[in-house]
Amino acid sequence: MENALGLSGGQATLIAITIGFTVLGLAGLAAAMFMERRWKVSYSFEFLFIIVMLVLVYYADWNSKTTYKAYQAELRDWEEVAGTPLAGEVDRGAFDRVLNVAAFQWGFAFITQDKELSRNAAIVKPGEKVLFRIMSNDVIHGFNIPVANIVAEIDPGDVRELWIRAPDTPGKYLIQCVNYCGVGHAQMKAWLVVQGADEENEETSQLDRGEVISNG
Amino acid sequence: MADKALDQKRLGNLPHWNPEDLIGKMTLKSLLFSDDYRHIAVKGILTSLVMLALGGIMAILFRTELAVPDVQILGARVYMTLMTLHGMIMVFGFLIPLIVSVCYFFMPKVLGHERLIWAKAAQLSYWLLILAAVLLVIGRPDFTWTAYPPMSLRTGNPLLWTGYLAIFLVAVSEFLAGAVLLRNALEARGGLSGAPLIAWAAGTVGTLFMVSTIPLAFIGLGLLTDYLEMTAYFDPARGGSVKFFLYVFWSYGHPAVYLPFVPAIAVLYTLMPRFLGHPMWSYWSGVAAFILLMLGAIPIGPHHFQPLYTVSGWYERMVQILTLLVFIPSVLHVFNWIATLFMERIPTSARRAVPFKFMVASIGFIIYGGATAFINAQISIDSDFIHNTYWIPAHFHAMFFGFVGQMAIAGVYYLYPYITGRMYNQKLANSHFWLWQIGLFTKISGMFLAGYNYFPRWVYDYPPLPEWASTQFMITVGAYLIGLGFILFLYNFAVSASKGSPVEGDPWPVEDDAVAAATPAE
Repeated sequence: MENALGLSGGQATLIAITIGFTVLGLAGLAAAMFMERRWKVSYSFEFLFIIVMLVLVYYADWNSKTTYKAYQAELRDWEEVAGTPLAGEVDRGAFDRVLNVAAFQWGFAFITQDKELSRNAAIVKPGEKVLFRIMSNDVIHGFNIPVANIVAEIDPGDVRELWIRAPDTPGKYLIQCVNYCGVGHAQMKAWLVVQGADEENEETSQLDRGEVISNG
Repeated sequence: MADKALDQKRLGNLPHWNPEDLIGKMTLKSLLFSDDYRHIAVKGILTSLVMLALGGIMAILFRTELAVPDVQILGARVYMTLMTLHGMIMVFGFLIPLIVSVCYFFMPKVLGHERLIWAKAAQLSYWLLILAAVLLVIGRPDFTWTAYPPMSLRTGNPLLWTGYLAIFLVAVSEFLAGAVLLRNALEARGGLSGAPLIAWAAGTVGTLFMVSTIPLAFIGLGLLTDYLEMTAYFDPARGGSVKFFLYVFWSYGHPAVYLPFVPAIAVLYTLMPRFLGHPMWSYWSGVAAFILLMLGAIPIGPHHFQPLYTVSGWYERMVQILTLLVFIPSVLHVFNWIATLFMERIPTSARRAVPFKFMVASIGFIIYGGATAFINAQISIDSDFIHNTYWIPAHFHAMFFGFVGQMAIAGVYYLYPYITGRMYNQKLANSHFWLWQIGLFTKISGMFLAGYNYFPRWVYDYPPLPEWASTQFMITVGAYLIGLGFILFLYNFAVSASKGSPVEGDPWPVEDDAVAAATPAE
């Protein structure tokens, strides 16, 4: 599944570097505690270490910048053709589907371009490139789709755009709020519903939309 | 390293006090109002341990709630109140006061003043903090320790204002503590350049305290007046700005991490040469690291939130680069410690000493929690799986508890003979040590795994996904082990004060069995 922010390529390298660094540090500490041999480390060794750190900082910044720019490049193209927030008739641009999302205390409303509203279920097709335009009108919310490797914070008043490539396998995938937004935060969950071709005409009959939202 | 006298002075680690039953000799009056530095420090230590017990009981309660999905023992509101109080009590009531109290105990002797300068300010700081804690327990706010508006203005809790007032009082209390630290550091006998590293730590962190608590005081007052509808700083529904809150709050919020962190490093720099019997590997790299940490603390605050959807703008990128660069002072410290441990044979007396064990373990946790911060700092990975998932509590529990908390407990064990005149029970202390290491490692690793699987923060219940349920269970097991260790610690602390073996002279002599066996004539 292609996603600019997926844990592959440069990001996996960085996680590997981090794990390597942790192990190196712990090994150094264990060696200092338990090795017979004693060693007066040269000061130049520390400078060498700092240079390695600077290289790592440079690499991490470069990697993060390129990854994120690649992801946002799609959004920038989209912004040029997009109308005002939550406008109905706008060009979909490079995206197969555009969903306007209202995050509220406590749930998500997904509004299609045909102005069909669905509470707590974003209905998409397998492999589609989906743009979410998320806004909040009350408090700070979060928006996270684990299967798509994306997480974001939405401040009231902003329209924040995220895009994902929908999974190829039909099914229900979790969408959740990750920012504490009040007492119903734990229930603020929705589903990314990936509908296969055979379900296309059944619409939402199989969906129990009330399943995850409750006033409990 | 030629100047041996200077080295000796910078060591600042002589057996400064005589073991005595300080706690036993204290009266209620001296406990409450005495301005003697040891009385203030002991009062702070004992209060912090009570706070740790309170925050710990709360943690055990909500860890039990989270152990298995779909089973409720606490409702959402009770859970969130416990979570909020746990965060506030542990940071404002346990970590910062405990480690600062240990520094209050060390500084007068190590820096050579024989007394705590501005002790009255330290006293006032203590009582303001107690008032804040009482307000928090009365009001029981449920808006998390970050109190993000407008949510925090409308949780429906009728006593919400006590929470804002408590935030303001904490700010004033910490400002005073910072002033005391800075003042004592500046007065170090013989000037800063020859002073032990604790002076540099107190100077830099004192400055940071005083600068960063000003935004916090504004946050407390601003929330209060917003709540009373006198102002509208933060509520977008009335024309305020959430982003304004975020920038101001995290100007305190990130330095707040260093407020206990830097004193903990100072305690480490004081205890390590004391147990090893030789100076640190490098004095100036420690000084440089303290200054760099102080300079980096405030500008990198915005890495705690995602300000706009243009997260890759130049400002965010600058924050990212500065955050990554903070790695360097931290690495300077850790490198210094490991290099010092490597210098000479570690005496058997140090290996036996429980504070030394806690110190070494805390270095392990700073590596564990700190190295992983390398990926936290990056915006792309933050937007991938880190932001507001359990990855974040994993990181700060490793740093706050694994490092700062354990370093503070090392300080308490170290001071134990000086404040009770007796030695702790070695076996109980060893059990405490191992329970905490195993428990902490289990808990923190469980949190990292949960975060990697997108477990959201601040939920009292969750869908029964296998990767969520297993990691939550793991964290709860870790928390229970830590709780058990803490009970052993309290028992040891209380019982050994009357039943432990009395200590005469230096309780922490540097002795090596192998060396002693080789030179029996001495």
